[in-house]
Amino acid sequence: MSDSPYDLVDDLPPGAGRVAAWSAYALQTYGDKVMAHPGGSYEARDEARAVADACHTLAVDCVRCARSPEGEGGLPGRLPRWRTPLRDAEQLRGMREALEALRIHIAYDLERRGGDEAPGAELRTELAHVDERLAKVELLWIERPPPELRGGIGDALVTGLDRAYALGQRLASG
Amino acid sequence: MSLFRPARTVTTPSGEYWELYVSKTVLPEWREGRPGSHEADTWPVAAGLLELPLALVEAIWSGLVRPLLRVAVLLPGAWLSGRRSRAIRIEALRPYPSRRVLLWTTTEGQVDGVLEEIAAGLAEGRVVQPVGAVYSGQTG
Repeated sequence: MSDSPYDLVDDLPPGAGRVAAWSAYALQTYGDKVMAHPGGSYEARDEARAVADACHTLAVDCVRCARSPEGEGGLPGRLPRWRTPLRDAEQLRGMREALEALRIHIAYDLERRGGDEAPGAELRTELAHVDERLAKVELLWIERPPPELRGGIGDALVTGLDRAYALGQRLASG
Repeated sequence: MSLFRPARTVTTPSGEYWELYVSKTVLPEWREGRPGSHEADTWPVAAGLLELPLALVEAIWSGLVRPLLRVAVLLPGAWLSGRRSRAIRIEALRPYPSRRVLLWTTTEGQVDGVLEEIAAGLAEGRVVQPVGAVYSGQTG
């Protein structure tokens, strides 16, 4: 069994262990994307590093939890938050890439799960909410966005990431 | 698209009149100075005779000339910065009974649809939050 959060989630069957592995995957993805696009100013990079560090630390805890016999251990209820409300354009790019990556993983899992049963329909409705956030980001996405647009894009991304994180956990629980 | 001519005017069911302005320029804030910052008691008696005209000059300077100069200096930069950006501001102004300004920010590709949605909302007495825009609430 792999130690990498990127592989572990696909190695485990639905249940507590896979929920922990999904959490690790989401945290690792978010942390890596934030680190890949840390922002322009010293303050922005400093804050991005803090968010990425928090993500990576929590991801390690989640991997440990996923590998435990019953998948025991507390999982973070949501992704780490930024200290300041406004992200710069580069940071928004990292957050958007993270949300797109989580969305693809969830959509693939849902497709693989198949069936028209009620829980599946509910999960697909939840995925549609994530897609709405991504669609809003797409509509507002321009070069050199002013603070008002950056605020709106950031809010949509944070909401979308939270929903995707929670949806992935529900999906992984089986 | 103009800073000085409304793109739409709307009257709500309750009779409120709104003007919708679409622009790329963020107008510099009109910032008045604080007149009469000196201490009158510390002035000698002879200077006291000059106090009234000096106060008048100071009031005109801080209330009109200085803010006007500030706007004149900052406006070209604001205009240039707006020209380079694809962001669009839509401001809804209600001039009376009390002045109220609402701000939405959108992009060039969305502006027509967003403007329609805002105007239709106000015509029904609602402040809408279109998907293709960020509503910042009341400004100014």
